[in-house]
Amino acid sequence: MMKRMLGIITANFSGGELGSLTAERPVASLPVAGRYRLVDFPLSNMRNSGITTVGLITPYLYRSLMDHVEEGKAWQLSRKTGGLFVLPGSVYGLKGETDKFLLRDFIQNRAILDRSSSDVVVVTTSDWVYNIDFRDVLAQHNRTGADVTMLYKKDFRANVPGSQFLRMKDDGEVTAIAGTGSDCFLDAFIINRPLLLSFISWYGSVNHFDLVADIFRENMNRMKVYGYAFEGYAGVVSTLADYMQVNADFLSQDVRSQIFRVDRPIQTKVQDNAPTKYGDNAAVKNALIPTGCVISGTVEDSVLFRGVEIAEGAVVKNCVLMQHTKVGPGTVLDNVVCDKNVVIRADTHIAGAEGRPIAIPKNQEI
Amino acid sequence: MRKKECIAMLLAGGQGSRLGALTKYNAKPAVAFGSKYRIIDFGLSNCVNSGIDTVGVLTQYKPLSLNDYLGTGTSWDLDDPDGGLHVLAPYATETGGRWYNGTADAIYRNIDFISRYNPEYVLILSGDHLYHMDYNQMLAYHKQQKAALTVAVIEVTMEEASRFGIMSVDEEMRITKFTEKPKHPDSTLASMGIYIFNWSVLKSALIADHADEKSQKDFGKNIIPRLLGENKRLYAYRFAGYWKDVGTIDSYYEAQMDLLEDEPEFGIFDPNVRTYSNANSSAPHYIGKDGSATRSLVSNGCVILGKVNHSILSSDVTVEEGAVVEDAILLPGAKIGAGAKVIHAIVGEDAIIGPGAVLQGTDDIPVVGDRVRYNEGGEK
Repeated sequence: MMKRMLGIITANFSGGELGSLTAERPVASLPVAGRYRLVDFPLSNMRNSGITTVGLITPYLYRSLMDHVEEGKAWQLSRKTGGLFVLPGSVYGLKGETDKFLLRDFIQNRAILDRSSSDVVVVTTSDWVYNIDFRDVLAQHNRTGADVTMLYKKDFRANVPGSQFLRMKDDGEVTAIAGTGSDCFLDAFIINRPLLLSFISWYGSVNHFDLVADIFRENMNRMKVYGYAFEGYAGVVSTLADYMQVNADFLSQDVRSQIFRVDRPIQTKVQDNAPTKYGDNAAVKNALIPTGCVISGTVEDSVLFRGVEIAEGAVVKNCVLMQHTKVGPGTVLDNVVCDKNVVIRADTHIAGAEGRPIAIPKNQEI
Repeated sequence: MRKKECIAMLLAGGQGSRLGALTKYNAKPAVAFGSKYRIIDFGLSNCVNSGIDTVGVLTQYKPLSLNDYLGTGTSWDLDDPDGGLHVLAPYATETGGRWYNGTADAIYRNIDFISRYNPEYVLILSGDHLYHMDYNQMLAYHKQQKAALTVAVIEVTMEEASRFGIMSVDEEMRITKFTEKPKHPDSTLASMGIYIFNWSVLKSALIADHADEKSQKDFGKNIIPRLLGENKRLYAYRFAGYWKDVGTIDSYYEAQMDLLEDEPEFGIFDPNVRTYSNANSSAPHYIGKDGSATRSLVSNGCVILGKVNHSILSSDVTVEEGAVVEDAILLPGAKIGAGAKVIHAIVGEDAIIGPGAVLQGTDDIPVVGDRVRYNEGGEK
């Protein structure tokens, strides 16, 4: 019989360099790919893997996150048996914490682990974008008889701050976790529940430890840890440049077909927007656009979010425009990220550079 | 059950046979409309926006897709144990089973459903009309007139009048005469098929009508004339906004093309009047490097690699490279092959226009039915 999985999503870290984008929200609720928030990906992955009990470890400022996740309805987690458990995270504030798997978050929420009848716990962060069936990972976990199975992506670019890399034997057994390398840890792992409970008991007095960076490393020789090579598209958001890149990745048909799979749909909170309306002079090329937009100008190589309005004569290139951004007539934007409700008045020119976009904070009028 | 002041009964069982190929798999209320919606969304959203939290949806013809779409009513906030949305299909009893035989019969057979809410008023609606309306205003009018029945009415042209239930009213708007689809109409005041009844009046009229073997069990033909004959207080409630019964392919097409106007009369873009729908979880739409969309409405899940102008694209439509779509309505899941041309036409749900095929309407609007494949040289 298939072992049962309990899901834990850590949504309370903000170790990246995302500036104003994460001034008022955790990375988990950062809008991405036109109609999603980052947390949609781990939640959908868990749902698509048949996981029906998910603990969401929340940051101190969790309003935007809870506004989006609600009671988990979009992921079939509003249910009688199991469902979504909103767990208090121990990080106070949004900034300055880089640990992704703080032990004290698990200690503090030990009850969900104690009460669960699951065999294994699937733990992920909420800053990665990929589409996976954790049942495939579990099958390998069972086959290898591992205590812990860590997901990694081969040859993943190594310039992400705080990235960890796996050192493995030929058979995939992990021998070390390092700060450099090419097999990048996806910040997701499966661990046997009794072992996780043991760690909680043993390390209770040093609860500032990170489960992976400290405890896995320290116990690497005493347990069986295997890597699981994830083959599909994976993107991570930790800098502003990453954020632009991950959004731009969705302009590729290949990436969209790997992420937006009919058999494993990415779910999100549904809103009732009108369809998007294109004007007579709309000139849109290579752009991802959700419903609720009104587009009368030029949009190229960009990702728009719901309710964006582009006036006639405006030109938007290489941009990410979040919900309800309004771009006035004659305005030119290149390599710009507009946070929610930004208004750019007529005939304004703003240009960042490739890899160095300009971010305009929420509710600004320029 | 807690007593309700007013509950709604939404008639959604008709075939809509004049929509032809579009109702082969769908009941008319479940036919897609306006890029993001299905026709029933407007009636359900009106109920919710008017604070009506109990809606019986009467189904009969091809109910599978309609039932799927309605679900538990959660998309319209009608998943409420204290009322909410109920799908009411015909059922069997100890004396046998039979289909709903007319609009009044459909309501008659659900007297038990209505009675458990013991409402003061029952709002009867059609699931296939397009309009935004606050039923509270109509209900307030109904109370103010101390009416037994209030019929919402709209002015139509003399030419159109013989398609509708037409009534004559006195200076107080009290109905003096009502004729269903008159050959020689003597008024242009048309029934919109929206009725508010006092439940006690409706109930006894339904029971009496049921016993009348000659009755066609129809609101317009039987119930209203019966109440007029009994000299009950019947009033007309004038409605001035947009209202359309998209009964034919032509009117279905025109009503959607109207949405492409700068300021469409039917305010689906009005932020103050939300139309709820059972939205899907498809990705945002993508317009490719050589694609374009002008003067069009587009929803999630579409991939546009060709040229789209003056058209309505429902969700999950694909327009391949080199394809041209103009003055067209593409329903959910339609696929337009590379180099194909679709001009002045309707392409049904999950229908496929083969690569290079040309589908061009003139005065007649060609319709490729749901799930049909249309290739160069005709349908296959």
